[in-house]
Amino acid sequence: MHIDEEILKKLEKLSHLRIDESKKEEVIGQLSEILEYVENLKELDTEHLDSFFSTLPGNTPVREDIPSNDPSIPKEILENAPQSEDDFFIVPAIIE
Amino acid sequence: MITLKEAMSKSKEELAEIRDELFKKAKESGLNAYIGFETHGEGVPILIKDNIQVHGWSITGGSNILQGYIAPYNATVIENMLKNGFAPAGRANMDEFAMGSTTETSFYGPTLNPHDTSRVPGGSSGGSAAAVAGGEAIAALGSDTGGSIRQPAAYCGVVGFKPTYGRVSRFGLAAYASSLDQIGPITQNVEDAAILYDAIKGHDSKDSTSYEFENEPIYGNIDADRKLTIAVIDNYIEVASEDVKKAHDEAIKALEEAGHTIIHKNMSNTKYDIATYYIVATAEAATNLARYDGVRYGRRCENPKNLEDLYFRSRSEGFGEEVKRRILLGNFVLSSGYYDAYYLKAQKVRHLIRDEFKKIFAEADLILSPVAPSVAPKLGELQDPLEMYKSDMYTIAINLAGLPAISLPINKNSDGMPVGLQLIADAFEEKKLFDGASSLERAVAYSK
Repeated sequence: MHIDEEILKKLEKLSHLRIDESKKEEVIGQLSEILEYVENLKELDTEHLDSFFSTLPGNTPVREDIPSNDPSIPKEILENAPQSEDDFFIVPAIIE
Repeated sequence: MITLKEAMSKSKEELAEIRDELFKKAKESGLNAYIGFETHGEGVPILIKDNIQVHGWSITGGSNILQGYIAPYNATVIENMLKNGFAPAGRANMDEFAMGSTTETSFYGPTLNPHDTSRVPGGSSGGSAAAVAGGEAIAALGSDTGGSIRQPAAYCGVVGFKPTYGRVSRFGLAAYASSLDQIGPITQNVEDAAILYDAIKGHDSKDSTSYEFENEPIYGNIDADRKLTIAVIDNYIEVASEDVKKAHDEAIKALEEAGHTIIHKNMSNTKYDIATYYIVATAEAATNLARYDGVRYGRRCENPKNLEDLYFRSRSEGFGEEVKRRILLGNFVLSSGYYDAYYLKAQKVRHLIRDEFKKIFAEADLILSPVAPSVAPKLGELQDPLEMYKSDMYTIAINLAGLPAISLPINKNSDGMPVGLQLIADAFEEKKLFDGASSLERAVAYSK
């Protein structure tokens, strides 16, 4: 798989990341090389296999839905957030 | 340096004094194994990797994006440690978000290998391994997603243990690849690894992948005289360096002399493990790291123009290159049109990898394998990302299959660099693994 500028642009958008113009060529080269390598999996026959995989025996355990909360945790998170007020995180205005 | 076992008989006052001495030594050594000297509670001091939450500490995952973040609670492993007389003491350097094999991707700069400071300590738990090897910590916690406990332990000549997936709670571990991550101990010897593992393991209702099991202690029950059948993987050894081949031969001889039976097996080419790992791990990482958006935790970019600018700039400025590369790759393999061919294909291959191990464990108790293809590389030697990924060839299949494995030092090469090997057991066979590891440790009698 060769990554081109178009695909990189799409990946930057999906990832919420911007790659510096000066680095783009290098990143495209690295991603293409890595993807070409991982395509070796095509050599394996996986036709009959399940795409669900878990290393744990049995299913994920279920439990009663009993609410619990330590109110000090959200308080500390808000106190240490980049910008917060009362019970809210502050971000730049969304609606002008 | 006193062992963990010895430290457990010391008084609170003596332990506080030991901790202060370790901190002093770490500050003076220049290894950059510690990136913080915080303390929490009283007890035997244990160095904590910078991705495990300790209440009130700035836990940053070795990243710029988490500068300013303060952990609002203790990880379950920390709670368990405190209950058992161990106290978190200091933060260990690591590759950013545990993504790397050398500790060079850390925001805090690389950690140096105490055996040769021109070499890396390995990664991603490089700070934890270098500190234990350098006499700056009695023991440490690390995390292992693709070898991040075992490989630095091997490069630094100490013991590193990755438990079966589900044995140790991941609650409070900054997630990299959730289906692969496990916390485990890095220690001076096998017995100490059992002590620290016993202290942190156990079912946790806060981790939905935590397994319910009888919590029998390993420490005190290790049987180094138990005779086992141990498989060696011939095609793994063929492609290893001469140093690793020599250590492998020495270990086989020692195991045979100790009365174990050696059988020879082959496994699939490790290129499939590497491919599977770098699809699954990056997919999970892209998802897990989406939470770092500059809004709730850590560092936000200055003067964002609008919300979109806040997201893009906080993330672009906050993440390092290797992390960005893995997020981009992860979003590629998960994106519409490529999901089936890459992500689902890799998930299917995990069945093949596990089945291959199962087949060997039908005949053998344990597998003996290299940890890394060579001794610790020089700083800056692994510049090419794909070359670095390939150096994980011997460790990642264990994570993909969820198995337990322990890395221990065997000998030193002619430059005085340690060579480690790993023993691997079937899922939940930790007791057997420690029996074998204890026997191997005694038989090779590695000297620091």
